[in-house]
Amino acid sequence: MRVSALTRFLGLSMALGLILAACGTQGGGSPGASSGGVESQAPEPNELAILEWSGYEAEDFWTDFAQAHPDTEVTFEFGDTDANILALMQGGSQADVFHFYTGWQQFYVDAGLVREIDTSKLSNWDAVPDAYKELGQIDGKQYFLPWDWGFTSILYNTEHVPEVTSWDVLMDPAYEGHVSMWNDGPAAVAVSSYINGWDETNLTDEQLAEIEADWIAQKPLNAFYWSGEYTDLCPAVQDGTVWVAYAWQGCYATALAAGDPVAYATPEEGRNSWFGLYGISADTDSYELALEFLDMKLAETTCANAVSLFYYGCANGDVMAAIDDPVLIEAFAINDPSILESTNFTPLVTEEQRTAWTAMWERVQAE
Amino acid sequence: MTARPVTRRIGVGRTAVPLRGFYLGMLFLLYLPIGILFVFSFNAGTTLRFPIEALTLDWYAEVIGNGPMLAAARNSLLVGAGSATAATIIGLLVSTAVLRFRFRGRGALLALAGLPLIVPFVVMGVAFFLLFVAVDLPRSLLSVAIGHTIIATPYATLIQLARLSGLDPALEDAAMDLGATYPATLRRVVLPLMGPTVVAAWLTSFIVSFDEIAVAIFLVGGDPTFPVFLYGQVRFAQRLPVLIAMAVLLMIGTVALTLVALRLRTKE
Amino acid sequence: MLGRRGTLPFLAGPPALWLALFFVVPLLLIAAFSLRAGSGAVGPAGAWVPSIEHYQQVFGTPAFLRLLGLSVATAVGIATLATLLAYPVAYYLTFRAGTRATLYLTLLLIPFAVSYLLRVMAWKLMLGPDGGINSLLQGLGLTSEPLGLLLYSRPAVIVTLVYVWVPFAALPIYAAMQRIDRSHLEAAADLGAGPWARFWRVTVPLSLPGALATFFMVFIPTVGEYVTPALVGGTDGIMYGNIILGFFTRSANWPLGSAMAMIMLVLTLLLVVVALRIVDLRRVSL
Repeated sequence: MRVSALTRFLGLSMALGLILAACGTQGGGSPGASSGGVESQAPEPNELAILEWSGYEAEDFWTDFAQAHPDTEVTFEFGDTDANILALMQGGSQADVFHFYTGWQQFYVDAGLVREIDTSKLSNWDAVPDAYKELGQIDGKQYFLPWDWGFTSILYNTEHVPEVTSWDVLMDPAYEGHVSMWNDGPAAVAVSSYINGWDETNLTDEQLAEIEADWIAQKPLNAFYWSGEYTDLCPAVQDGTVWVAYAWQGCYATALAAGDPVAYATPEEGRNSWFGLYGISADTDSYELALEFLDMKLAETTCANAVSLFYYGCANGDVMAAIDDPVLIEAFAINDPSILESTNFTPLVTEEQRTAWTAMWERVQAE
Repeated sequence: MTARPVTRRIGVGRTAVPLRGFYLGMLFLLYLPIGILFVFSFNAGTTLRFPIEALTLDWYAEVIGNGPMLAAARNSLLVGAGSATAATIIGLLVSTAVLRFRFRGRGALLALAGLPLIVPFVVMGVAFFLLFVAVDLPRSLLSVAIGHTIIATPYATLIQLARLSGLDPALEDAAMDLGATYPATLRRVVLPLMGPTVVAAWLTSFIVSFDEIAVAIFLVGGDPTFPVFLYGQVRFAQRLPVLIAMAVLLMIGTVALTLVALRLRTKE
Repeated sequence: MLGRRGTLPFLAGPPALWLALFFVVPLLLIAAFSLRAGSGAVGPAGAWVPSIEHYQQVFGTPAFLRLLGLSVATAVGIATLATLLAYPVAYYLTFRAGTRATLYLTLLLIPFAVSYLLRVMAWKLMLGPDGGINSLLQGLGLTSEPLGLLLYSRPAVIVTLVYVWVPFAALPIYAAMQRIDRSHLEAAADLGAGPWARFWRVTVPLSLPGALATFFMVFIPTVGEYVTPALVGGTDGIMYGNIILGFFTRSANWPLGSAMAMIMLVLTLLLVVVALRIVDLRRVSL
């Protein structure tokens, strides 16, 4: 009796194990593709894996694609910094499409991780202004599709903090325990460079050492280092824990729309501006589907959702021209072109800089 | 207390140290945070302030409609079942080989099965991560399951080793004298006697895997296990109550499994 | 017909192969990656130039070494506290609980079956500015402002991890105390030893292996902890494990992260070897 019960029990669990193994291979795409084996002419699988930043998995941000391809299974894998996204791609991520931000374009091309975009197949490509298109080009080839954009500046609580005019408010001991910096080395280097008036792409070792010392001194001021704009930063700004934060305009617009006492600085050193880019993995089995995904990203509803729900700018120029919500006009500084003139756009970094800056940041963490 | 004469108490004088109070106090402190979680899962608001304003079952209802969360729970069940099965088999094979045979490398095999216990999880996570990078195996539920098999192996081995060492090898000799082959003896004599222990080892391994996060964080691809999912969502204050409702449901399951495993192990 | 001896390869072979492939090889890979020149997320296809630059960098960075020391100290503190708190509980279960010992032990172990992450979250709820402790204090009129420093600090990490480990910590001590021959205690009593003398001179020495086993069983997982510090530690409660993770995720530099992991592995193994010299852990297996 006991034997048969046990055998059944083990049999059942083995069956579960087999199902698991099957799921593992299924989710991983065809084994031949990643190992560089012979490419078969089999039809593309009806699945798409996206390497994303958390928050973007909400269907609002790919709704046009979801409607056009209701049967396609879209899955998401997450990263939380550009270094992390790059590492996941280099580590053999199975993502067909990946999302990262300006400054990191060259690495993907150099490492052969990205496949050129056939823009002739994108129906919404003409809505993208030329200046944006250029951000996605390396050596004249369109490797990346520009999508979301915005500012980085200081988001602050107007009840506790008088008008902010400089990035150095992040270093102000008066707000000890109420500051929050993004948990990212390159971001810290950029802020310090603005404060000191240095060129971030051309820092000396001494300057980098000074930057490190500044952030070590700044450490006790933080309530915490944030890692997700909508996961940990924004709730803490809205509940009054954080008064001064390195922030993108999305959280600003969210708090503003909720009636919280917040303002978004235009520092004398200038704000920072960034652009989000999508690339198609060189290893993808679903190139056509991925192209379709990118095209639908630029479609009107999806782009408008990014603007109205996430408070991010979108690369579709028609959508941006149609904005009439006062909160958004404020968030994107649409009525004040002078802000854009003083804005620092994120430059391309080298591998050496990336390594030095991320290691610097880990030392700050460890201190 | 019964009417039976009290046997002489041994240890510290009864009145000197309030040991019972200490035990009960500890129990209270251990259950208090869990109790708070429990209350929180019925609390109508998304922050926990005392006194509680209103109670609700909404969070539990929302669990049912939360696809990604249910998928994560299913993933954990699959990984747990797969890795527990593999670890239990490994543990059973290692125990039998080590206790019933003398061979070169016997000590090494036993040490190998026990060593994962003394490697910090963050190091194991790095190790598996590099392995899957090196063999170009995409990170997936399969990679998590392989990692969890190694982590569960010491538990599965130690539990079965303890039981098998209590079984008289003479039983096996008798079976073989009666003409059974050794594999048949193992299957028809040893395994039935080991039955409850095998189940206990499986359940323990399953729970180890089901709750594991530090290694899983390094190994999940697009499909998170439940702890990894929870870890990613735990910072959304508004989502906390639903997560906790789900976690409370799973907690009831794991506590039940643990009680079964404990019972099976103490019955011997 | 398969003889007894012929069965052995089938018994020992698969586990040995599995453990070699998925346990030994991965650990060797850490060593290999840590001794490799270059930085970033370097795949196996890249160049393999031997170099000790990453070890030089770790040992040349006081912040990393200090954090390693601090993590070891934190883990020692947590393991000590958990052991000290669990000891009287095990004592109670062994010598006082009588026939109910099994029930009481089970009651103690149930919290350990609750998801680890859930127990950490419970403490987050307890310690937060809107949390249980603060609202309780305010509700009782003891404080008017929330105490902000409860969460996001090293003490929060210590409290949470001690909480997580205490139920488990009682087990090895309980197992060791179970094996104490009561006649030793009776003999001591007959020789005129008072309760305290019996406790210190008989019970403590005989249960010490269990206490030391507990200490190491808490210390090893704790020294590499990174999940709890990330959740409740804030900016200055983090541990060495968080930096290792950082070099594999946020700041992607695998060779450097491998070197840091290797250092932690060697350190842990050394400490275990020392422990085995002090106490034979096999005598207190569960």
